[in-house]
Amino acid sequence: MTSTTVSSFIDKPVVPGDVILDLSKMTDQTLKLGGGLQQDQDAITVVQAGILRFSKPNKYWIESSHKRYIPTVGDTILGIVVDQRAESFFVDIKGPMVAFLPVLAFEGGTRRNIPKFEVGTLIYARVVKANTGMNPELSCMDASGKAAEFGPLKDGYMFESSTGLSRMLLSSPTCPVLEGLGKKLAFEIAVGLNGRVWVNAEHKSSIILVANAIMNSESLTPVQQKIMVERLLDRVN
Amino acid sequence: MEQRLANTWRMTVNEKKFIESALESELRIDGRRPFDYRRVTIKCGREDGSSEVQLGQTHVMSFVTSQLVQPYRDRPNEGTLSVFTEFSPMADPSFEVGRPSESAVELGRIIDRGLRESRAVDTESLCVVAGKWVWSIRIDLHILDNGGNLVDAANIAALAALLTFRRPECTLGGDDGQEVIWHPPEVREPLPLTIHHLPIAVTFAFIGDENMVIDPTHHEEAVMGGRMSVTLNSNGEVCAVQKAGQGVMQSVVMQCLRIASVKAGDVTSKIKTAVESYNTVRTLKMVKRHAPPSKAVDVNEPGQKAKQILEGQKLKSEECSVSQSDDMDVDQCKINKRSDMNQRFTGGPSSWDPYSEGVNTDELKATLASRGSVAVPMKLVNLGDSIRDETKSDEPLSDVNPVSSSTDSAGKETRCC
Repeated sequence: MTSTTVSSFIDKPVVPGDVILDLSKMTDQTLKLGGGLQQDQDAITVVQAGILRFSKPNKYWIESSHKRYIPTVGDTILGIVVDQRAESFFVDIKGPMVAFLPVLAFEGGTRRNIPKFEVGTLIYARVVKANTGMNPELSCMDASGKAAEFGPLKDGYMFESSTGLSRMLLSSPTCPVLEGLGKKLAFEIAVGLNGRVWVNAEHKSSIILVANAIMNSESLTPVQQKIMVERLLDRVN
Repeated sequence: MEQRLANTWRMTVNEKKFIESALESELRIDGRRPFDYRRVTIKCGREDGSSEVQLGQTHVMSFVTSQLVQPYRDRPNEGTLSVFTEFSPMADPSFEVGRPSESAVELGRIIDRGLRESRAVDTESLCVVAGKWVWSIRIDLHILDNGGNLVDAANIAALAALLTFRRPECTLGGDDGQEVIWHPPEVREPLPLTIHHLPIAVTFAFIGDENMVIDPTHHEEAVMGGRMSVTLNSNGEVCAVQKAGQGVMQSVVMQCLRIASVKAGDVTSKIKTAVESYNTVRTLKMVKRHAPPSKAVDVNEPGQKAKQILEGQKLKSEECSVSQSDDMDVDQCKINKRSDMNQRFTGGPSSWDPYSEGVNTDELKATLASRGSVAVPMKLVNLGDSIRDETKSDEPLSDVNPVSSSTDSAGKETRCC
């Protein structure tokens, strides 16, 4: 079905200019392209450095790690309220533009009960619109209109990391850092795909421990992560 | 407006509250206790007088350079020391290109004061001819990454760069014993600066009502109500204090000074080990450089020719002296080509015109002339018509003269090229 060039690039690092697919050699030409890929007549070329991912039957996208975030529809993110207008909140999502969060995009939201957020409130939300040249739009409801954990986050501590680290934390099976920490400590965590992580726990010392363990794990392999977490926990207990 | 909102770094309410409340139980977000310093890494660069310092995430680079200038009138036998800061927008989105920000000026001032007021660098030994030639030492500080506490990091970088800096040796000579002879590094070993002691800056941040932390991070700086930078040396002598923000008790200031003197000792030993290791590497390099004798001769020969003679005493205005020392390096390169002209060189920048050099005057004239000659025939035709057709009025006649004169001059110029 797919040409042989695809299999050679999947799960491998690619750089802008790489041609990953040649449509003229394919029998089934239906494809779904994600971020970082571009169609150039019969060729599918890479426009962003990263790792090429493929999901059956025909989805392709590039995964990369940045300190900035490029909004994509469906991503769950952590945003900071920077301003409020009559129609919407302005939310900083580490992207090239501030995102709009309409005041009605909350469960049971009406003109009568508009939520009040002070500047600097941390919000867990979902990207619903991400068109080029427009400010992205967020929502605090899932597709069926339920709150579903979205909304402001109280207390705890938020730290910034790269988008790659966020993706690692959300990957399944659970990454070794979270697994190791979760065995010994009780904590809440919210990971935004825009590279923001919020941690809350009963004790302040465990929040600091979890936050630093996660920040240190960025450049470590799974085995190293396990060792690091074990050492940290040994030192605390 | 919106773009600015997207570009500025901001802190959430959650972070602020957490930093403050965690400090109540003596915890800091990076796992340090209130009086722990971050890990300092000092790297002395490949060249003399350069260093790179990392303090946690903070990253500062420093360069020291020197120049022969005229001294200030009130201090005729002292060299000068100046500090310049450069905040790269890459380090922090809040740093803007162009005019130095308030924090950039403050940073430069704190370091400048710590070094100058305590007379850490011996400026009198920088004098070459009293009242005429002294060395001016310039420290450039580049902030590469802002992770908080720029003052301490920049101060360490400046000290490490000063300690590794070496200025070229100068002697007096010539016919009247007043000419400054500048020796290239290949001929005579450059001299290090005389530094009496190392003034170390230690910064404290005051957060909330009672909490005090040493070496604040970027996040803690955003929360803090006040800050105090204490500059002292390893003997515990206070050189400078900079205090901004909320007021603190006298007892707290004394406590800060006591803690700072301990930290200053630690940092001093770190700087010294870094500089020592740099010096060993440097001497090893020199041994290698001097090992093959044939090569060493090659290096030395043009260098000896290039002994620069400056006839400083002939200069009158201050401007002249500055520009001459600027020219020194350039002349050094050209000296082989025009060794016969060397005696005639009297350092006269008065006759030096940056625009006339490298421009062919004949060519310039030709281009001007051609421009004129393109425009002129048109006018001549028109004028001819007007004279022929119209009755002889004063207006066209008055026009004729200037145009014809301009064609004459253009014609001459084309002829001469």
